[in-house]
Amino acid sequence: MTAVEHAPAAANRGWFNSKIFAKLAIRLGAFAAFAGILIYFALTARGFTSSYNLINVVEQSTILGFLAFAMTVVFIGTGTDVQKGGIDLSIAANAGLCAAVYAVMMREGYGNFVAIPAAVGTGMVIGFFNGLAVVTLKIMPLLGTLAVMNIAAGLELTLTENTVVPVQSDLMNVLAFGRFLGVSTLAWCLIIGSALLIWAIHFSRIGLRLYAVGGHIEAARAAGIRTGAYIYGAYIFSGFMAGVASILIVSRLSSSTPGTGLMLLPILAAALLGTVFSRRFIPTIGGTLLAALFIGFLANGFQLLGISSYWVSGVQGALILLVVTVTSFAKKH
Amino acid sequence: MTNQTDTAVRESRFSLEAASNYAVIVAFVAVVIFFTFAAPGFMTGENIFNLISNKVVLLAIVALGMTIVIGAGGIDLSVGVSIDLSSMIFIMMIAAGYMGAFAVMGGLGAAFCVGLLNAFLINKLKINPFLATLGVLFIGKSIQQLSTQGGVPIYLTRAEYAAPFDAIARTSLLGIPTPMIILVICIIGVYLALHRSVFGRYVAALGAQADVARYSGIRVPMHMSIVFISCAVLSGITGILLSSTVRSYVPLAGDAFLLDAIGATFIGTAISAERRPSVLGTLIGVALLAVMRNGLLLIGWNFFWQQVGIGVLVFLVLGLSFGLRKRGE
Repeated sequence: MTAVEHAPAAANRGWFNSKIFAKLAIRLGAFAAFAGILIYFALTARGFTSSYNLINVVEQSTILGFLAFAMTVVFIGTGTDVQKGGIDLSIAANAGLCAAVYAVMMREGYGNFVAIPAAVGTGMVIGFFNGLAVVTLKIMPLLGTLAVMNIAAGLELTLTENTVVPVQSDLMNVLAFGRFLGVSTLAWCLIIGSALLIWAIHFSRIGLRLYAVGGHIEAARAAGIRTGAYIYGAYIFSGFMAGVASILIVSRLSSSTPGTGLMLLPILAAALLGTVFSRRFIPTIGGTLLAALFIGFLANGFQLLGISSYWVSGVQGALILLVVTVTSFAKKH
Repeated sequence: MTNQTDTAVRESRFSLEAASNYAVIVAFVAVVIFFTFAAPGFMTGENIFNLISNKVVLLAIVALGMTIVIGAGGIDLSVGVSIDLSSMIFIMMIAAGYMGAFAVMGGLGAAFCVGLLNAFLINKLKINPFLATLGVLFIGKSIQQLSTQGGVPIYLTRAEYAAPFDAIARTSLLGIPTPMIILVICIIGVYLALHRSVFGRYVAALGAQADVARYSGIRVPMHMSIVFISCAVLSGITGILLSSTVRSYVPLAGDAFLLDAIGATFIGTAISAERRPSVLGTLIGVALLAVMRNGLLLIGWNFFWQQVGIGVLVFLVLGLSFGLRKRGE
């Protein structure tokens, strides 16, 4: 209560336009908190700043980042109200299914040239079903993608029979262990993937229209944008990213492993935390990238400091609550 | 979302729309008839009894809580936390030698606190229910991991602990097992609260138009608090029934109920023309899920295919029910 009531009063007493000031303070605060935590880890956790460790964290964040990008694109295209607007609960289960498809096809002797398109194609088909549920059948996104999540998770289990499917291939060795200019392939994937997406979402017509559809669907439709196609596109793209991420997951673990579906919560956390790094507190690719790295550094720092990993999920939860409280306050005032 | 309103579809819409209200009931009847013929052991008194006392009771109580929350326009992703924390405190107190009644109070108290935290986040910090309860879900996971060394289950199978568990799970009144009586009490309680009281009208108003409800003088924070605390306490009851049945606390076991409870509630909305959650609808949703799972098991589908089958069924039912609905409602 006190936090909510006192804060606006303090902002009103500011020397200049309190609205801009409050927003600026919160944005800078988010960056400062991120930087502060990094500096704290650098000073206290031994080995945190070593280049090996830093690259390791970036690698670990690649998979989370790719899946969180997918969620971000769905958020952008369907509005940020997670309850009434859009969400894709099936992303993590979908990635698990794609990983299973890829691993099983490799085991059956199909090469990468067949298995990779099959995995990515599977992801896109699942994405299409999400679009079908949300756009054509007009089911609430929360529900439609929940049903699709169940189907994807069930199919993954039937394919793998809930076991680890080991995979060996040259491409995977390149992905998991290869290096270029001293940076590992996985890290390059994150760098190139984010650059491409930032261009597509923030510097292209498609991205602008996607924001229009998510921001105000009636206005977008009146302006002549085919809103249904964009929402379909967002969900299919989300499936595509799940497929791509699944190849990275399999490479990193050298197998398809049950439990990929559990990544849903960190994915949501990254996509939601990302909004605090943007000027208008909306989902952006850059913000999500920072948030995914932040979550990675947080887990890594905890590990190096010897703090139990059991705290990680609680800290993520508290961060989400903090971020949402602060941004909703900033939007209002 | 799409602009296609074919004249042909529009002409046939009236009857289709009326039909869409019965999609769930038709699906339920069809599923029951199918399994009666396809699975020989399905329509036996013993199977139905086991189905209700083992599967339906636990899920139905959580789903009733979810019905209240969704009826008020919210959602509660933290029901698993309420179930688990209630179960954990209950089992820990029994292990520490407290009387059964105190342990039950302790468990329900823990669930109450989860509901109170949700209410605080939603009312005071103005966080939307999805995100607030998502945060609580994360925090609840940490709490359980920290108090069980990362998720080690607590088993109390020794005979000295049996008394309180048997008193809850193994007794019966007039031949009806206690858990079933508890379910009936919960059903009647939630039915009266939601469909036969002023509180229920206010909840419906909140769910339909939260702003209008606020401007017409309904005390939104108080009602939201009651809504979320009731849901948490109902989930807590499930936690205690679950623990008493299996005589143990398995960390994060409650998460399994979340999706089914949401699914059952929303399947249930399909029986009302306005697509509002109702106690009857939720119970049909719970029964549909339970019958599907049991029937598929009896005809020899393994757990994995059951999940696919249920997902497809839910998708179809929701598609029929929402897809045929009038546009721009």
